[in-house]
Order: sequence, then C-alpha cells, then structure tokens
Amino acid sequence: MTTSPETIPSPLAPAPAQPRGAASLRGGGGLLRYLVVRFLLIFPTIFVLVTVVFFLMRATGDPITAAQGGRLAPAELARRIHAAGYDRPLIVQYLDFLGGILHGDFGTTYSDHQPVTTVLVTYGTATLELAFYALIVAFIVGIPLGMLAAWIRDRWGDALLRVLAIVFYATPIFFSGLLMKLVFSIRLGWLPVDGRADTGTELELQLLPHPTGIYLIDAFRTGDPAAVGDVLRHAVLPGVALGLLTAGVFLRLVRTNVIGTLNTEYVTAARSRGVSEYRLVTKHAYRPALIPIITVIGLQIAMLLGGAVLTETTFEWNGLGYQLNHYLEARDFVAVQGIVALLAVIVAVVNFIVDVIAAFIDPRVRY
Amino acid sequence: MNSATARRARFLVATASLAAATLILTGCSGGKSGNTGSASKSITIGTTDTVTSLDPAGSYDNGSLSVQVNVFPLLFDSPYGSPDVKPDIAESGSFVDSNTFEVKLKPGLKFANGHDLTASDVKFTFDRQQAIGKSGADGGNGPSSLLANLENTTVKDDSTVDFHLKVANDQTFEQVLSSEAGFIVDEQVFSPTKLTPDNDIVKADAFAGQYKITSYKVNQLIEYKKYSGYQGLLAPAKTDTIIAKYYKDSSNLKLDVQSGGIDVAYRSLSAQDVDALKKQKDKVTVTTGPGGEIRYIVFNFKTQPFGTGQPDADPKKALAVRTAVADLVDRQALSELYKNTYTPLYSYVPDGLTGANTALKGLYGDGNGGPSKDKATEALKAAGITTPVQLDITYNSDHYGPQSGDEYGLIKDQLESSGLFKVNLAGVENVQFSKDAPNDGYPVFQRGWFPDYADADNYLTPFFPQGGFLHNHYDNPQVDSLITKELGDKDAASRAKTIGDIQDAVAKDLDTIPLLQGTQVVVTGKDVKGAVLDASFKFRYATLSK
Repeated sequence: MTTSPETIPSPLAPAPAQPRGAASLRGGGGLLRYLVVRFLLIFPTIFVLVTVVFFLMRATGDPITAAQGGRLAPAELARRIHAAGYDRPLIVQYLDFLGGILHGDFGTTYSDHQPVTTVLVTYGTATLELAFYALIVAFIVGIPLGMLAAWIRDRWGDALLRVLAIVFYATPIFFSGLLMKLVFSIRLGWLPVDGRADTGTELELQLLPHPTGIYLIDAFRTGDPAAVGDVLRHAVLPGVALGLLTAGVFLRLVRTNVIGTLNTEYVTAARSRGVSEYRLVTKHAYRPALIPIITVIGLQIAMLLGGAVLTETTFEWNGLGYQLNHYLEARDFVAVQGIVALLAVIVAVVNFIVDVIAAFIDPRVRY
Repeated sequence: MNSATARRARFLVATASLAAATLILTGCSGGKSGNTGSASKSITIGTTDTVTSLDPAGSYDNGSLSVQVNVFPLLFDSPYGSPDVKPDIAESGSFVDSNTFEVKLKPGLKFANGHDLTASDVKFTFDRQQAIGKSGADGGNGPSSLLANLENTTVKDDSTVDFHLKVANDQTFEQVLSSEAGFIVDEQVFSPTKLTPDNDIVKADAFAGQYKITSYKVNQLIEYKKYSGYQGLLAPAKTDTIIAKYYKDSSNLKLDVQSGGIDVAYRSLSAQDVDALKKQKDKVTVTTGPGGEIRYIVFNFKTQPFGTGQPDADPKKALAVRTAVADLVDRQALSELYKNTYTPLYSYVPDGLTGANTALKGLYGDGNGGPSKDKATEALKAAGITTPVQLDITYNSDHYGPQSGDEYGLIKDQLESSGLFKVNLAGVENVQFSKDAPNDGYPVFQRGWFPDYADADNYLTPFFPQGGFLHNHYDNPQVDSLITKELGDKDAASRAKTIGDIQDAVAKDLDTIPLLQGTQVVVTGKDVKGAVLDASFKFRYATLSK
C-alpha cells in the first residue's frame, strides 16, 4: 500500500508547460472552488467506504452466530437472530443503518454493549497518541538520515542508509515489535513488554476528573513525574516500531529531493561562491526538499492507521486498531462500521488539509 | 557567532534538554505495578478473556462469567474443590412440591451500596432475565435459555422465594441457580427490561460477592476490592485488592507473567506457552485442574457412510464405521499434540463430575484406552464393508482453538495409516459451520462444549434426546427415558448410577466419539499462593494471596 517515495515529484522539478489560461479553464473558480470541491469529495469517499464495509461485514455472517454458534441449539440461535433483526433483508438493515448515521446515532456495539461514540472517543485518543509518537520518531530518524544520505550520496554509507530505509518500511511490525520486545524488555529489562502504562499508573489516570484519554497529557495533569515517566517508557517501543515504518519512507524521500535540489542552478551558484557542502545541504537544499513531505504525510496517515492495527495488537496498546481487531473477530458490525467510518474521516480530512497546504505553498498545484 | 551557528547551538541545547528530561523521567520511573501506590497488598491477574457485559442478563460467555463470579452473589454455589452445589447466600433450598423449588435467604444480606438484598431482588433478577431474553434486549447474548424450565418466580415473604418449574423435580435446578443466569442483582440499580450499562453498575456499587469493582475500564483494566459484607458460602477474600489486566495477545500475557509484570496468568495461554512456562520453575508455578471443556467427533446418522439417508443405508454397517473410528483414534497422541493441556476423554461426562465413568475405554481400541487396528479391521470385516471407507470430516477452523486443524490432521493420519479409511478433511469458519452442521451439512464433524454448570446432565440433555443441540438424527428411546429419570431422581446415588447407565448406552451407539477433556491452567508467580481450579470451572480470586 506504500507509494514509492521516489515517485513523489519534487516541487522544484520542472513543471510541464501549460498553455496560458489553462488554470482558469480547468479550475474555473480558482483556489476557493478547488477547496470546496476537495471538501465535498470527502463525503462520497466516506459513504462509499462505509457502504462497502456494511455489505462485506454481512457477507461474513452475523455476530450472534459468531459468538453463540457452537453453544446454542439451532432453534434458539434462530430465535435470537430474528429478535436482533439480523435476518431482515439487507437493504432494510442498510437503510436503518444510514438513518441512524444521519441522526448521529452510530449504535451500540454488540460484543461489549458500548455506545460506538464512546468507543471512538476512548480508543481514538489512544491511536492518536501512538500516531503522534510514531510521527516524532519518523521525523527524528527519517529526515536527518535522509539528509546525511544525500550528503554522502553514492558512497557506501549512502548505500547502507538506503538499505536501512528499505528494512524499516519492509519489516512487518509484528516481527520488529516482537524482536524489540525480546531484546529491550525480556533480555535487557529496560522497557515494559506492553501496554500504555503500568496498572498502578492506569488506575491513577482513571481517577482524574475528565481524563483526555491521551495518557501523556493525563500523566502531566496528575503532577506525578513517575506517571509521566511510566507513560513515556511504555510509548518507546510502540512508537519506534510504528515510526520506523514511516521513517524509512521519509529517509528515501528526503534523500532523493535533497539530491535533486543540490543539482539545481541556485545551489550550483551557491557552491561556486564557496559555500560548504554541509551548509548547502542544511541550509540551501534542506527546506525546499521538505515540501513533498507534507504531501507524503497525507499518504502516511493512512499507512500509520493501518500499521496501528498491528502495532497496537503487538504491544497491547488499547487503541482503535486493537479494538478493530477484536470487533472483527466478533463480527460486531456496528463497531466495525463506526471505526472504519472514523478512520475514513481522518484519512479524508488529513488528505484534504494536506492538499490545502500544498495548494497554498506550491503555486504550481493546479486548481 | 553568526545566526546559523546560533540556531544550531539552540537546537542542540533544546535537543539535549529534551533527551535529558526524557531520560530523567523514564529513568526515575520504575513504573507502577498494581502492587505499589494506594494498594499495599494486591495481586494482578492477566487474561485474554473479553467481557461482553457486567450485567448478568447480557452475557453468556466465559469472559464475563469470570468477572461476575467474583462480584455477584448466587443462591447456590460450589464450595472449593467440589462440583456439587450448596446454598450460597441462601440459607436453604428444596422442593416443597414437585414443581416448586423454595429458597430461603440468609438474614441481613446487603449489597455493597447498603441496599438490602431481599426476596424481592431475587424475584426481580429472574423476572428480568426472562423478560430481557424474550424481548431480545440482550442482543442475543444473554443466558436466559438456561431458565427454560422456569415458569415464574413468586415472593413468599422478605426472605423466601418460590420458583415454579415446568418440569417436575428438576434435579439440575440448583445447578441452574449456580450458573450465569443466577447472579442476584440489585433491583434499585438494574433496569427490569433493558441491560444496565457496565459503568452504571460500577458507579452504583451494586455488588455482593466476595469482591466489588471499584475501577472499571472495559476489557482493559478492572480493580476489585474485598467486600467485607459478603455472607456467602465461600470464605472471605484473602487479598484486599485484585487487578485484572486484559490482553489481546496470549504471547504478551505469557511474557508478562514470565517477567513478573503480572502475578497471575489465567486463560488462555497456548499449549506451547504453558509447556514453556512449566520449564521455568524458578520463575512461575503452573497449576492445573479439571476442566469442563470437551472435544468430540459427531456422526450424522443420516449422511454418514451407510447412514439412513444414503442409497446403501444399513444401520449395522453405519455402526461398524463408527466403531472402527472409535477403535482407531489415539487420544493420548491427541493429548500430546496439546502438550497435555487436554487429557484423553473416554466418556460423555468428563472426569471430575458426579456420575462420570469411562464407558468407551473398555469397549473400543485395545481395551485400555489405546488404538487397535485389529479391532477396527474386525468390526468392518464383520459388517461386510469394503475398505478403505471414504470419510468426509469437517472441523471448525476458528471456534475451538487455533489447533483444531492440527488435531483433525492427526485424526486423519490415524485413520488413514490403518489403511481402513480414506479421509477428506475440510476446515470451515464458525459462522458457516454453525449453519451447516445442524442441517445435515457434514457427515462427520467436530464439536466442542463448555458447560453451563458443573452437573453431568449438562453433558447429556443438550445432546442426546431428539431435537437436541447436535441435530444428528440420533434416536434412542432408552437413552431418552434414562435422561428423564435422572433429571427427576432425588436420590443422589441412584441418579449417579443412572447417569452411568446413560453413558454406557450411548457408548454402544456411538452417537459421538469423545476425544479430549480440557484442563484448566493458571500460571502464578513464585510468591503467589492459593490458586484453586476445581470442577466448578470457576476461578475465584478470593483464595489468592501473597
């Protein structure tokens, strides 16, 4: 599902020639119209996705049979399926579902009787926190190493870093996660095996009035440095496991773009004025090369959310991915639909924001 | 210093400060296990169970049950170490006429929130179970079907309740009262017609078991505190605070108990993990106990080879096929596949329950529990069956554990290596399997069972009378009549004998072939004592201590 980072065009690459007035012919109303269209496209995207999930989930059976199929007599099972309405025509169930959504009612999960909105808020914050840690790791690791690779391009160090990037984004998270746990938790005993915090800290956080669900913020609110430290210790391995996935993409993208920038005329001019290679990379080529990263972040959000399912399960991180796994196994239609809808909204909105930023900072974006 | 240098210096300082702060925070923090902080004496239990609902009317699964047994009172319950039940918060209970079972409550019972627990709460409990089950407000998830024999409940006085039964002298009714359908709830807290949300129950402190729940995050973390007002059959809790931590991945559960991150790991560790932990005697103790789960092969009497619906139908030949399979299965090898977390099962009622025997052991195989190719050959030859016999076996690929495929692969090998059978093996997902199996979809198929309560009848009535759970066209009026007899037999010894007779009779028919009986496993840290796993199949936290 990853897009090769080297296929992302640099903003400094020559744009194809456009006939004068082309923008107005294609875009009509200009930037505003572009933004409105992009915004309106969010709705059909989510609608299509939710509809597909609705019908796919029902093709796999009903939650009552999944939970009680091996336990109840067939007649009792049929009675319960009928009482729950899972034997109604699909189209009736679908219209019911759409009606609920239009009234802001996402329903109650079948497998643990939680309002879906509660599930989304409770676990969504955990996923958000994990994605935040992962992005920090991705920036800290991916960008400097990408610049370094560009600086020492075509030498053995560059080759090594490029291989490292491939290893980062090609290694399955459950494998890298397990490996890290075995080394840093079991062998060295430095970091916890799993979870978002130790049980004592979790109980302490639950006592807070109106907890945000973002453990780092809640831990700071307790005013207890040990709680903050505990939360950070638990965040290290999951954050690194998920972050390296994106760091690999960033590394190769930054390297490619910095190299491209280093070959432009203004950098050549600077070089001819005696500016050092170090300064060329860190000052002249660095900033323009980062612009495509903004676009890539949009794509990476989807990848991060996909990766979060595996990371959260590997590290018992109680987020949306972790719960999605649980609800899928239970054929809990209501919960899966709600979570997928939220993920679709996040991806669509982030991509919209990225498009908006790209349109503002790069005038060559057509609208 | 130029501006670029200054910026670089500021960046370095900021980075160094951030790193130092992180190191200090993480370094200073050893984390907080459940054993520190406010809880001076606590035990942390890890599990991969999932809770469907705290409300007893909304769950019919082991994960919810394992919470409920520790916080809700029962009228009858099993004392430690016994499968048979005794009055719990009830003072007494008996039949006052053939269709009325009367229960008298102990005096002065209270819920943890201070509300009186009276006969009215008991009536409310059973009325709402039936109402919620009937209306479907349980989402299809409740245990109301266990109350199928209950007509209604009436209150005689503040401490006396009468249960009016449809079938007279039901000797399993005390056991039903000890099941998940029998947890008594507070009528001032629970809704009579709808499920009550978990957080409302916790907030209202509507508990009266050995523990109450003081902090609850569904399927993540539950904190239990000892309830000092508990007046039931069992001893008060030995540990003040129990924390239950929920896992998705059993390998994380294993790693945590191994590393001391938790004190107890209960359900479900893989057979391989249990085996590995058994070898780490310096770190953990593995305790096993009888398990109620059974695994068995079912024959559809209509669609099996020579079955009643086949063109070459012949009951004798059909029985010979079943006999040959029973002669060839090697239960010990199957048990070893599961690293002995399952043990061989030679009858329909598992070992540990009153009335259990080993009916199949002497009848089939080498007469001592092992397989016998000679006896299988003889059975098929005597019936005039040409070998190899084609057998289509279907197993459930996702409901009875991840090793079902291996288990049935081994059975296929055992049957085929005799040269007497040619097996077509197929795995089907539970949702499809549950539709096909009772509708003549498979001639021979896998099943498993986890009991609702610890009584032998729970392994007989649901299966063998016509129209039972299996829907495999088995019909033996003698067995039906024996089951009716044991259900109403007030004499325990006579009832146990009848249960033995039923097993002997079914063993001759081979309606199903029992294979394995589950073992309960709990792994504890070296400093934890008192884990009790018995034939009640309930893991009660109150016996645990450090």
